[in-house]
Amino acid sequence: MTIDQLNKSKVPIIVLDKKLEKLRGKVLFPKKLKKANEILTKTGLPKTKK
Amino acid sequence: MKYPKYQYRSEELFLFYEFNSEGPKGLIKKIVEYTATSTENVYNLGFGDYDETTQRINDLSITNNGDSLKILATVASTVYAFTEKYPKAWIFATGSTAARTRLYRMGITNNLVEISADFVVFGYNEEGIWEEFIIGKNYEAFLLTKKDNKFVV
Repeated sequence: MTIDQLNKSKVPIIVLDKKLEKLRGKVLFPKKLKKANEILTKTGLPKTKK
Repeated sequence: MKYPKYQYRSEELFLFYEFNSEGPKGLIKKIVEYTATSTENVYNLGFGDYDETTQRINDLSITNNGDSLKILATVASTVYAFTEKYPKAWIFATGSTAARTRLYRMGITNNLVEISADFVVFGYNEEGIWEEFIIGKNYEAFLLTKKDNKFVV
């Protein structure tokens, strides 16, 4: 895939990299996760129509 | 997003993405992470520089590599990849600083037409309520999900 094709595609072509599996199970952004959990616990998800 | 983006790599679960920012400061490795929150089907989007030496993330660094739009477009592109794998997911995002959160807001604002074709975006307002994203309004955090999911929660 050329860079031009890549830039025009909405759903990208993913290159798999086994080295990234070493990150599995880790939380790299604990402060952001904590904030997300606090807001979601307090407010939940947006009210949506059934 | 209509901006150029970097090609990135992921692992089988599509929870981690890695790409290199290229610019005057050289190659800087970036990591995007989707972490399950305590709410079912809601994932936190984390993004920052990855220091290979310390194997730590820095989400406060200001890279100044002249490619912030390209980086934002790349991160946005991972949202498409992630939701292809997890179509029912909701994605929570907030900046590591108020300035970063404003940058996210600008990114959403500048691409809202395109984003809205596939997703519904909510902002967490100053009253502590989720509302559908309104251009020009300040938000503390953002949530988005595929449009198809809006009415099934």
